[in-house]
Amino acid sequence: MINPIQVSGLSKSFGKTKAVESASFSVDKGKIFGLLGPNGAGKTTTIRMINYIIPPDEGEIRINGEHVSPKTQKWIGYMPEERGLYKKMKVGEQLLYLAQLKGLSAADAREKIRFWLKRFSAYDWHSKVVGELSKGMSQKIQFIATIVHDPDIYIFDEPFSGLDPINSELLKEIIIELRDKGKTILFSTHRMEQVEQMCDDICLFNNGKVVLTGNLRKVKKDFGKNTVLIEFEGDSTFLDELTDVRINNRSTNFAEIRILNGLNHQQILRIAMEKAEIHKFQLVEPSLNEIFISTVGEDNIKNKELLK
Amino acid sequence: MNWRQIFLVLKREYITRVRSKGFIWATILVPVGFAAFIGIMVFIAVWESDVAFELAIKDETGNIAESLRNLNERRYLDYSHIDVDSLRTMVQRELITGYVVITEENISDGRNPELIYSGSGGMEFILSVESDFRQVIREEKIRRADVSEEIQQIYESRISLETRRLTREGEEQDDDTIFLSFVGMILGIIIFVAIFSYGGYITRGVIEEKTNRIIEVIASSVKPIELLTGKMAGVGALAITQFGIWILAFMGLSAIAGPVAMSLMEPSQMAGDMAAVEAELPAIFNLPSLETSLIIYFILFFILGYLLYSSLFAAIGSAADSDTDTQQLMMPITIPIMIAYFIMFHTWRSPDSVLSIVSSIIPFFSPILMVTRIAITDVPFWQISLAIVLMMITFAGTMWLSSKIYKVGILSYGSTVGYKDLLKWIRQ
Repeated sequence: MINPIQVSGLSKSFGKTKAVESASFSVDKGKIFGLLGPNGAGKTTTIRMINYIIPPDEGEIRINGEHVSPKTQKWIGYMPEERGLYKKMKVGEQLLYLAQLKGLSAADAREKIRFWLKRFSAYDWHSKVVGELSKGMSQKIQFIATIVHDPDIYIFDEPFSGLDPINSELLKEIIIELRDKGKTILFSTHRMEQVEQMCDDICLFNNGKVVLTGNLRKVKKDFGKNTVLIEFEGDSTFLDELTDVRINNRSTNFAEIRILNGLNHQQILRIAMEKAEIHKFQLVEPSLNEIFISTVGEDNIKNKELLK
Repeated sequence: MNWRQIFLVLKREYITRVRSKGFIWATILVPVGFAAFIGIMVFIAVWESDVAFELAIKDETGNIAESLRNLNERRYLDYSHIDVDSLRTMVQRELITGYVVITEENISDGRNPELIYSGSGGMEFILSVESDFRQVIREEKIRRADVSEEIQQIYESRISLETRRLTREGEEQDDDTIFLSFVGMILGIIIFVAIFSYGGYITRGVIEEKTNRIIEVIASSVKPIELLTGKMAGVGALAITQFGIWILAFMGLSAIAGPVAMSLMEPSQMAGDMAAVEAELPAIFNLPSLETSLIIYFILFFILGYLLYSSLFAAIGSAADSDTDTQQLMMPITIPIMIAYFIMFHTWRSPDSVLSIVSSIIPFFSPILMVTRIAITDVPFWQISLAIVLMMITFAGTMWLSSKIYKVGILSYGSTVGYKDLLKWIRQ
């Protein structure tokens, strides 16, 4: 089967900065694919190249088996991280313009716009100027603009950043619904927990390079059950006594402990029991965040703050 | 290049702007302003001929009053038989504007005549009375000097320069150089203003797409060069629409201005010599007709100039994040237009000087200077063609340059861009 998106050996530099370096990955049809990594890892540059907005220096991108071109652009619905609309244009006219640019005929576009506006109970906004809409309302219009031409492939760059909680949920629903219809979705994020909930496959980016790619379940399984979730009450200094572990997500009565060098988890439990009252002790697969850190090595991560 | 995409962009640029309040107001207000201007001129013309200043002439010499009445029957009244005290009373009661007593001394001793008047009438009135008296007294002196008729004629002759143009086809035409000089200057100024304002539309349009953050959505459907071309064509179509409306309004107003003014004149004047009435109207009502070729050249050079500069205006817009950012980047565009604008004031006076000829062929100056020259003088066809060809070549160059800058610029946010960055983008 032909992959909807196939990226091989992709490189792009801006001056002396290597934004993307020989990146390869492929997205399967009907799957949600997560492109992960801290800000500045090269996700947006990669996405722009897939969308034929900027040309790669090296490498190849194929969409449904074809080289990227104005033609492949029309097969993709793209919502960039930097998103917006013409403020002075009316909602209906704006959607019509964007849909026509994606190759729809005026009549076809009007029908689809009507459908989606009704679907989002936004039909009354048809003749409103975008500048008059609230932020949440214009975000909905933005979704419609992305999906109105009914493409087979959807690309969302940091889709949840800046969304209000209601629209965040709405977008999740849309993404799942599209996947269930057999559409292919690629989205990028620097927030790992979103991926855990939604993605089938992932690709981890760091410093312009792909560090890990594959099926999310499989990736996690390969890392083994070597993470301890512990809930306790009392003195938390025992956490500092542990060696050969990495502690993520530490708070006054909770910690996520990754066991690094064969240290027995029973031993951790023993040390903990001496100091504090244990409410919960669970052995789990590592979180994606942990997988990312252990793959690239703690010292090689740029923008550590942004990762969480 | 996909023409469907370009057309869609063009349509959006055109329709959203043509419906904007600013555009509608500007399109209406310019002809309204022009009509108001003509209206004021008509008003002035009508009132000027309405107010008659009557001067009583108490002539003690016997000839002067009659000569003055021959010059202007309505202004000068022969009141030689009335005594000075009565004349004074008449002035005070505003029955007449004033009076002049002409005595022998005014003619033989060269004493200046004295005008006693109520003070109304202003400069123009005084100057015309002065010139009338100068003429009449001189004629009287010549007559008395008993010189031969030949010499009398020499003194009476008024020499001015009649100019007529001989065309290449051998026809003689009335020469309108002075009128056309003004036309040339006005057309030059119009193109100067138009390049800045429509160019400004483009810069702001590009910046708007960047600040609205819609540009990336658009870029995922349209190639930057298509977007740029569509934008320039859209605003260009807007410019042509606006100018079309203005030119039609201008022609319509000029056509009706004359008859309307005439109908406002008093019937008594109407009965008089039509030619005399027309002569009293300001020159604007007797516009020598503009040659069609001038209008065509104006439109052609306007379009070429617009294309040349608008691509650069778009490039500047793409490199800026806000209107204030553009100030500094705008310099390389502003300077050539300003230079052309200043040279125009020289070209206006001497359109065939070497400076005028050479600078009118330089592509960045042509749109302003060549039009000014074509309006005023007979520009050799090779100069016009050379200017057009050079502008087209330069346009290809600026378009290439601009599309390179534009392509990178529209996707770069946040950083202040300098000329160094622009050079880097061009080399990419």
